[in-house]
Amino acid sequence: MADTPAPTEPKPIVPFKPVILAHIHEDGSHTLDHYEARGGYAVAREHVGTTDPASLVKLVDDSGLRGRGGAGFPTGKKWSFLAKGTGKPAYLAINGDESEPGTFKDRHILERDPHQLIEGALITCWAIQSHQAFIYLRGEFILGYERLDKAVREAKAKGYVGANAFGKGFDITVTVIRGAGAYICGEETGMLSSIEGGRGYPKIKPPFPAISGLFKCPTIVNNVETIANVTHIVKNGAAWHRQWGTEKSPGYKIFCLSGQVNKPGVYEVPLGITMDSFINDYGGGLRDGKKMKAVIPGGLSAPVLTPDMVAKCTMDYESLAGLGSMLGSGGVTVLNEDVDLVDSIFNTMRFYHHESCGQCTPCREGTGWLEKLAHRIAHGHGRQGDLDLLGDVCKNMRGRTICVLADAAAMPMQSYLQHFRGEFEKKLHDPGLDEKARTFRDEFTATAKQATREHKAPSVLEVGLGMDRT
Amino acid sequence: MTSASPTIAPLSPEAKAQAALARLSQARKDQFLEMLGEYPNKRSMLMMVLRLVEEEFSCITDEAMQVAADLTEMPVAHVQGMVTFYTHFKRSFHGKHRFMVCATLMCALDGNTDAALKTIADKLGIKAGEITADGLFSCEKVECLADCDRPPVVQKDFEHFCSMKGQVLADYVDGLLRQEGKTEADYRGKPGVVMDTRVEVMPSHFTFTGERDNGARRFDDKDPYLKEGQGESVTRIPRPLHTPFSSPVADSGLKPFNPHTAEANGKADKHHG
Repeated sequence: MADTPAPTEPKPIVPFKPVILAHIHEDGSHTLDHYEARGGYAVAREHVGTTDPASLVKLVDDSGLRGRGGAGFPTGKKWSFLAKGTGKPAYLAINGDESEPGTFKDRHILERDPHQLIEGALITCWAIQSHQAFIYLRGEFILGYERLDKAVREAKAKGYVGANAFGKGFDITVTVIRGAGAYICGEETGMLSSIEGGRGYPKIKPPFPAISGLFKCPTIVNNVETIANVTHIVKNGAAWHRQWGTEKSPGYKIFCLSGQVNKPGVYEVPLGITMDSFINDYGGGLRDGKKMKAVIPGGLSAPVLTPDMVAKCTMDYESLAGLGSMLGSGGVTVLNEDVDLVDSIFNTMRFYHHESCGQCTPCREGTGWLEKLAHRIAHGHGRQGDLDLLGDVCKNMRGRTICVLADAAAMPMQSYLQHFRGEFEKKLHDPGLDEKARTFRDEFTATAKQATREHKAPSVLEVGLGMDRT
Repeated sequence: MTSASPTIAPLSPEAKAQAALARLSQARKDQFLEMLGEYPNKRSMLMMVLRLVEEEFSCITDEAMQVAADLTEMPVAHVQGMVTFYTHFKRSFHGKHRFMVCATLMCALDGNTDAALKTIADKLGIKAGEITADGLFSCEKVECLADCDRPPVVQKDFEHFCSMKGQVLADYVDGLLRQEGKTEADYRGKPGVVMDTRVEVMPSHFTFTGERDNGARRFDDKDPYLKEGQGESVTRIPRPLHTPFSSPVADSGLKPFNPHTAEANGKADKHHG
């Protein structure tokens, strides 16, 4: 690939109309009648039981579809990694545990177009030769569960789901499981632990789920949006999917816009549009004519962007990675100039501390430390050296745990420290704190540090992190 | 208590499962039997069985955990481990009406979460983490409820609401008060009680024998492995529901620091700086 000339002709702009969200605003879009009236289940009827499964995997691989759950791993590649000839059943596990703050796209698919997901699941099951699909929803999706459960029953009554699906002699069971409020079950192996009937503890990888997942059998884990995409790709072909997006991030994606903008909501747009155009043209710009202070581009765990970075950012996996952030699950949150970023990082750290499953010490303890330190700084009790301590804790959390929750907590903290260090320092030297208290605090910190250097006291971390003993 | 006679065999898992099934209503029994065919093993049914017993008992009580454990042939300790891991299950220490207010960043922007909590506090006198003294209403801060474009998001038990701003939320709480035959005045000046989230430990041979008039549950802790006439039957009167949190620390007036319930401006945390 190295000899390919780098600059290529810009792609012709193909007008884009929403694909997955095309019908969600219509009345009764969640019913089987509505879905069949717009050609639903025709693709599954055509392909399940007849088309060569390997060709379907190749088609999805050619389309360049990337996982929409957060990691962005190519879906076709993942399917091709599925262990074959093990003598064990293969499973499909669909991740609808949409817990990443700022993300609410799966909610709309589940509540307003559940049949689209079921059709995608049927095609995927045939492509990977699995007889059972588990759809794991977060417990808070109450309407989503009701509608998906009803949709599965409707499809079962029609003979699309269950034994001998579409009369082609291939059995597909679709099982809907509800979670119960654990963020960690959005992590693929955590979700598998939960489906297996345990606490949602992530498992160490490798072996990856495609080799040994659910009940130690080969398992494909995909996001709800990814599976909903499969139907359209199989129907229209790989080239159709590639006409939008960039070379490495083809296609379109649902983005969730929240925060202080005029028109928050879900928008399905081609990948590669500029973030500026997304926020201003789709989201209607910032509310009340305020200026932008920061943007969280891919759910709460994505490193934060400054307005300068937003100006040169396009919405695809590579551009955001180049800016040190990530596209993640596509939850864009816009913060205006009035937001206190130290408060917001405290809120963020509280979230991760609450949601850490507690398996690995760096995460269980580290998220707690970050929360306490952020709380202390946000409330005007920060000490000299707290910012270095924050950076130090983050460094010691990343890459040392079973799953990436520790990284997800450390990344936003590091990016806030990198881009908005001034905000923290302003809080550290809080003018609201009276002179006496500030002097005492600084002396206390200096004494503790000196004592540590002379091995007269427990480590500075202990003194620094312990609640004030004054 | 006398020790169990070694001559009597324990109940088989099948017998336990049958007894547990008999505790469910007909509709849920059918639902359970329908589920049986779909899952590769009984353990994997646990998440959905817990939802089933949550509906059946209106919250996950100790006997609900026992029933779930017997239905799935798992130890009750494992079930308790799950129930305490997942935060969305409704438990006996929650109020009859359980408010969950999203407190994650997207909802907390512009003070939306604080406003919603304040509305609830004004009407019912409870802060986050508290329950009214009569056990009817409880309120808690929860993490993201995935409807971030329309803050603040509030769930009441199994109902989901977004944009619960100002009068909308106030009217909704008023409606609930009317439904319960209460008024705002009933809760004015009465501080809420901190929810006691500790679990009771129930030995597996405790059998549920009915409910008293006052709603307290009665257990018969007679060992089922004993023959008739052997041992002694002790009726265990459970801890009353929703008792205030009491411990040496709480009694001394020094509240342990908990950032989840700390005041938003932090100035109230005297011990903290």
